[in-house]
Amino acid sequence: MRNFEEIYNRYSPQIFRVCLGYTNDAEQAKDLVQDTFISVWKGLPNFRNQSHISTWIFRIATNNCLRALEVAKRMPQAELPFNLTEQAEESTEEKLSFLYRCISELEETERIIISLELEGLPQAQIADIVGLNNGNVRVKIHRIKEKLTKKFKAYEQFR
Amino acid sequence: MNNSDDLKAIWHSAKTDSLPGPDIMLQMIKRFRSQKLRNKWLVIVSSCLLSCLIIAVLFIVHFTMPVTYIGGGLMAASGLLLAVTNIRSLKRFYRLDDCSNLQFLAFIEQTRLNQAYYYKKTQAVVMLLCSAGLLLYLYEPTAGHPVWFIGIYGLSIIYLLVMWFFVRPRYYKKGAEKLNATLHRLESISEQLK
Repeated sequence: MRNFEEIYNRYSPQIFRVCLGYTNDAEQAKDLVQDTFISVWKGLPNFRNQSHISTWIFRIATNNCLRALEVAKRMPQAELPFNLTEQAEESTEEKLSFLYRCISELEETERIIISLELEGLPQAQIADIVGLNNGNVRVKIHRIKEKLTKKFKAYEQFR
Repeated sequence: MNNSDDLKAIWHSAKTDSLPGPDIMLQMIKRFRSQKLRNKWLVIVSSCLLSCLIIAVLFIVHFTMPVTYIGGGLMAASGLLLAVTNIRSLKRFYRLDDCSNLQFLAFIEQTRLNQAYYYKKTQAVVMLLCSAGLLLYLYEPTAGHPVWFIGIYGLSIIYLLVMWFFVRPRYYKKGAEKLNATLHRLESISEQLK
């Protein structure tokens, strides 16, 4: 798949969700999607298939997220991206809002790892993107999920 | 919410309709791709042009005092040093497209350290070369005219004093504070992956 349009249509929603998981800010996530696809557009003619194209694109996107720390001191933590759930049912909307809030309370690399996991990437690919070994990623994902699950259970209990 | 499948279902319920289509994205890419590095390229091109201009003047115009050639040479060297430093820092924008987060963090940490070195040392060397060069270069044209000599040297010295003791420390302080904050955050993020 070497056609930019095809690549954009396939990966932009995924990249957007990952960037949104990291930033918890829809506008900033859109900017990061744009930055990512600028790099994809420039790098596509020279892409040598040394890694899978999706690994390459997710690496660019997550590195852009990390680079965003140079412009923002701290990502907003408690706000729900206002335009994401307009048409969703109330309960899903609440849960999504709560999920973003929980993710935004995690450390930066944990936010990236759990966003990639929730996006459905295989753990080996996540390890390739982040630069850790598989075992390490597996342990981290397990711990992050535990944290999130606990928070959700407490949320359901007290609402 | 009982398992990770539920989390995934919630995650995927986020709407992505507000993203621009591929045609609009391509238009945006073409409009913005060159803007990011424009300032850096502007510094590189203008300092190279200025250095070339000075060298050309030194070759074309016949000066009688060696001090003029030394002054011009120092100014040209400072311009080239500035260009080389900026060209080297451009690498970071071109080399990062296919590396893991861990490699990326190490690389930007290193470039930030280089930047701190630039503020501390390179910038001072560039300014020193340029200041000394300017003062030497101006000697020959003003040597026989005391009024011009005093006027031009007075203005030049005031300008250089302001740059050295007011503008540069202020610029350095602002840049160094931001850099230290960034470095601190980079270190803490790198720690998360250990």
